[in-house]
Amino acid sequence: MNVDFALFIPEFVMAGMALVVLTVDLFLPQDRKHWLPYIALVGILGTMGSVFTIAGKSEELYGGLFLVDNFAVFFKVFLLAVGAFMVLASAEYVKKNLTRPGEFYGILLFSILAMMTMTAAGELLTAYISLELFSFSLYILASYAIHRPKSVEAGLKYILVGAFSSAILLYGLSLIYGSLGTTTFSGIADALAGNDDIPVAFLAGLVLVVVGFGFKITAVPFHMWAPDVYEGAPTPVTAYLAVASKAVSFALLLRLFAMAFGPAMDEWRPIIAGLAAATIVLGNLVAMAQHNIKRMLAYSSIGQAGYLLMGIAALSPLASNGLLFHIVGYSAANFAAFACIIAYENLTGKEEISDYAGLSRRQPFMALVLSGALFSLAGLPVFAGFATKFYLFAAVGNEGLLWLVIVAVAGSLVSLYYYLMVIKQIYLGEPEEDEPLRLSVSTVGLLGALGAAVVIFGVYPGPLINLIEKATAVLPMPV
Amino acid sequence: MSPLLAIYIVVSVMAVAGGLGTVLARNVVYASLFLLLSLLSVAGIYVLLFSPFLALVQVLIYGGAIIIVVLFALMLTRQGDETGSLDSPQKPLAAVAGLAALGVLIATIVVNKWPPSVDPEPVGFEKLGATLFTQWAVPFEIASVLLLVALIGAIVIARPEDSQ
Repeated sequence: MNVDFALFIPEFVMAGMALVVLTVDLFLPQDRKHWLPYIALVGILGTMGSVFTIAGKSEELYGGLFLVDNFAVFFKVFLLAVGAFMVLASAEYVKKNLTRPGEFYGILLFSILAMMTMTAAGELLTAYISLELFSFSLYILASYAIHRPKSVEAGLKYILVGAFSSAILLYGLSLIYGSLGTTTFSGIADALAGNDDIPVAFLAGLVLVVVGFGFKITAVPFHMWAPDVYEGAPTPVTAYLAVASKAVSFALLLRLFAMAFGPAMDEWRPIIAGLAAATIVLGNLVAMAQHNIKRMLAYSSIGQAGYLLMGIAALSPLASNGLLFHIVGYSAANFAAFACIIAYENLTGKEEISDYAGLSRRQPFMALVLSGALFSLAGLPVFAGFATKFYLFAAVGNEGLLWLVIVAVAGSLVSLYYYLMVIKQIYLGEPEEDEPLRLSVSTVGLLGALGAAVVIFGVYPGPLINLIEKATAVLPMPV
Repeated sequence: MSPLLAIYIVVSVMAVAGGLGTVLARNVVYASLFLLLSLLSVAGIYVLLFSPFLALVQVLIYGGAIIIVVLFALMLTRQGDETGSLDSPQKPLAAVAGLAALGVLIATIVVNKWPPSVDPEPVGFEKLGATLFTQWAVPFEIASVLLLVALIGAIVIARPEDSQ
């Protein structure tokens, strides 16, 4: 078997850089540890550069086990960008609040490696083991503030629920393998298309796979771990959980459902659509009752997972474009919001919504970016959220799921209420102190870049949509 | 009933009984010994499937290493027996849900038209190794990174804070 190892260059570079970070950490004196995030950043940007060596190629390695195509390249570049923002957003927080920065960035880079292989997996076991590598990294990162009981609780809850959901997922995969005799995505699709009626055991396996993934993407009713974990984890890790974890899980789900489960679409569409509706309704309703901003964003991200599930339920070329577009828009907006929350926590140590009272007078720039990010999450025009939701909802409506679109629009209206409550505090609340908050130059740059992305994707999405169309073109779509 | 089927039933009953014992035992040490029973029975299933290597590895790694590590961990960390129950009041509900899922899965397995069974062929060591390191090299490598991350993570979380 001849394999062109050059196609693995991005993965090799990333794994190597993770080891470099871990090794350099051993030799750095305590007062130089703040170099580590920049080494990690160089690693991420270097990997991003190396991804362009595989751009435009279309190869199936090891008989469809590992895929090099535009879809994988799109998500690799996007997730590396998320990783780069994550490193920048956590640099100050880690320095102030966490010990052992070397392992933090090392494990973070390993988790990015896991995301890269998840987007390239074309086979159930490869996808599963990549997902496990990603989850293990997150279990560790979630409990990283071991001196804070809440962080330990978050890590423990996450690992228990994660192990449980992995077991369900794995059992589902075994049923699918047992009934169809193959684990490659294209092999599953061929076996399904060749069968006159779909085996019952495959359907049972499919349901278990949906349940297992439901936990990972916080779909209702498998969401109950999310608020506790989001609240307890160190704030940059919460941002990473809300953005990267969702984005990569949906990339994998979209590939799995389009490439493997497509022929059985009539069977799973009602299940996914029902999950999406429940997730949108519950996530948005419960978010209204929250007073901790991390918990509020946890429930809001549950609601957002519901919108993303709609893209899977509809599964058409347009809906896949909408799904990718919404992933990018949601990630930019949510990361912008979290970057503000991290910066605010660094400055004041507070994370209640009422603590944001009068932020506009103490730090007008941060108030502007946070408000823009929240407006984008709610889906107001000018911001990315409007364009992405409009595209996604229209595509889903096209596929005859109009009732789901109505639920989603109602959910968006409800979400506007709790986002506005935060914005009201920011602009109309009375601050406890009047002293202005000073942001570091790097934070201003980070907030500026994310805020600009939220607006640019909203008013000029053309180039991004072109790239997305190229990425989704490789997915076979059910007719 | 063929002898293979009879052995299969015995081994499977032992595996399930071991699993139940692991969950139901009140004493953690008994629970880990039940786990050992379950894991060794699974090795028996591998023997029936003509995979002597897997069976051997299952006995060595799970039966040997992992259970020993579990027992060591219990010995080194336990500060007296666990008092107070960690059971949630939702236990009956969980039992109903669990049994319902079991019922559905059993029904599925009975009803389903499985692909025609093939006679198991012995898999040689050479073929196993060659497949693992060529066809399945990618998941194999990811699994090794996974172990590395788990190792680092365990040390980071378990090491006392002030030993920097």
